Amino acid sequence: MGKYLVRRLLKSLLTVFISITLTFLIIRLMPADPVSLMVDPKLSPEVQAEMRRGFGLDKPVPVQFVIYIGNLLKGDLGLSFKTREPVTTVLMQRLPWTLLLMFTTLVSSLAVGIPVGIAAAKRRNSHFDRIVNVIVTLSISIFIPFISFAFLYVFGYLLGILPTGGAYTPPPGHGFAYFLDVARHAVLPTLTLFLGNCATIILYSRNSMLDVLKEDYIRTAAAKGWDDRYVTRVHALKNALIPTVTITGLMMGSMIGGAIMTETIYAWPGVGRLIYDSVNAMDYPVLQGAFLLLSVTVVVMNILTDLVVSKLDPRIRLGGGKA
Amino acid sequence: MKRSPSKRGFVPAFKKNKLGMVGLVGVALFIMVGLAAPLLAAYPKGYGTELYMKPSLLHPFGTDGLGLDILSQIIWGARTSIYVSFVAVLLAFAIGVPAGLVSGYFKGWAGGVIDTLIDVFLTLPILPLIIVIAAVIGSSIGNVAVVIGLFSWPSLARVTRNATLRVSEMQFVEAARCLGIKKRAILFKHILIVIIGPILVNLTLVMATSVLSEAGLSFLGLGDPTTWSWGTIIKKAWDAGAVIDTPNPWWWWFSPSMAIILYVVCFNSLGNAINDALNPKSRD
Repeated sequence: MGKYLVRRLLKSLLTVFISITLTFLIIRLMPADPVSLMVDPKLSPEVQAEMRRGFGLDKPVPVQFVIYIGNLLKGDLGLSFKTREPVTTVLMQRLPWTLLLMFTTLVSSLAVGIPVGIAAAKRRNSHFDRIVNVIVTLSISIFIPFISFAFLYVFGYLLGILPTGGAYTPPPGHGFAYFLDVARHAVLPTLTLFLGNCATIILYSRNSMLDVLKEDYIRTAAAKGWDDRYVTRVHALKNALIPTVTITGLMMGSMIGGAIMTETIYAWPGVGRLIYDSVNAMDYPVLQGAFLLLSVTVVVMNILTDLVVSKLDPRIRLGGGKA
Repeated sequence: MKRSPSKRGFVPAFKKNKLGMVGLVGVALFIMVGLAAPLLAAYPKGYGTELYMKPSLLHPFGTDGLGLDILSQIIWGARTSIYVSFVAVLLAFAIGVPAGLVSGYFKGWAGGVIDTLIDVFLTLPILPLIIVIAAVIGSSIGNVAVVIGLFSWPSLARVTRNATLRVSEMQFVEAARCLGIKKRAILFKHILIVIIGPILVNLTLVMATSVLSEAGLSFLGLGDPTTWSWGTIIKKAWDAGAVIDTPNPWWWWFSPSMAIILYVVCFNSLGNAINDALNPKSRD
């Protein structure tokens, strides 16, 4: 493993630490009484006192921080105000649905975005390139509720061919029927997230392909008389992919922001919809936990893209020697 | 004073860009509508008698489920959007530019630490963080604007840092250093003026994204219930089932969404045009 990867891993750890610190500070530094924000006012006084001791709210702030981190390491994020269940349990029920949505979005965006971006770069300033550019410009600045409403209006209301909410038709079925049912429910949320993310990937793969095509080694390969498609596929593609993969990692944060609104609108039972429900219920422990969980998800995704980049770029894999 | 060659070409190059001019006019219109809202429309409140009216001459964008005129709501929403984006831009500028300048100019540990912080905040999922904070501190429009602003600086800092890194190696900076000019003056006078272009471009992006964030927050129920914003209108339409239920007053959610999209597209094309006019090479 190169120095580069070690540095990236340390940065990931730092990112997680900063999000933990932020969630800790948000509640403690607010002008309102932190105790009433942390401890459910509906509970009996004895239970409240017990929870205060559990959170360490009777001790000074630095000690509270240490207790907080200790609890986190044990997977203890407190109890949900709304359901009285441990926050960890609540989150873990929701996480697979969000991961499913993100995974399908990511795979479809990459599968469509990279070929389209490269085709646009190869045919620069053609009609195809111009049309792609207009679509990309519009899709990048899209407001997610709007595009969701438009999809719901057309496919759910006018045509009535796709479900308008939820992840499956209750009660959940079994086997292949269940799979089909979930897939039908996932079409519109995935499509909604796909638009913006695919546009970003098209933009970056087009631009980096344009940069790579200007390189001397491409001209050399062409001068040797190799087939244009071969040069694109073998010589240019790999180098053009590096910025695209990097931006895919950076996209995760905003993708999760989009997922919150998408899940809310389509009543998709993931972490995003949980955030919306918790906002309305003023369920602070769940909100904090959800933010932490999403940060960790983003960091893990970033580590994965780093590994892909280091596979693509031998300078990173080998550079810096052993570490 | 002699004008630098890049400045000489900026205005003509900008004027040639049709999309950029459209963006500029659009931005000017939005700002004027926002400022003049009290003159253009009465503040929509209470309830009217004409519920769910389709767009007509009297109500160009129709009326909502309370019989209020949607055009007036959008005009007052423009005021909120302008307010939120200016607060966000001011805060992003106040934090991001010094952070970028310092981390780009000082190569030592100070630069490294700030650079790492920029990276970390660029990776964090910012919208969930803003949601948590807004939920805890309560969502007045002032709070929402400040929180959005507080987390809009990382991309600006990154742009400033990259530009500073490039410029701080140039000879005029070295000359300034040799003349014994204070570091603060070098940073905020000599360097900042040269790199103001990319900063300006990024600020237009912050204007656009901050309105998207505000609309998102309002849509999730974290907006200010006493202020009209485009996100609030969309939330009300959504809560009233205006999207998939019958009767289906599509104009209720369609017009505020169009306002948001136009606002974002105008600022983005303004930014693109500034960028192109500053770098004639990138236009080919």
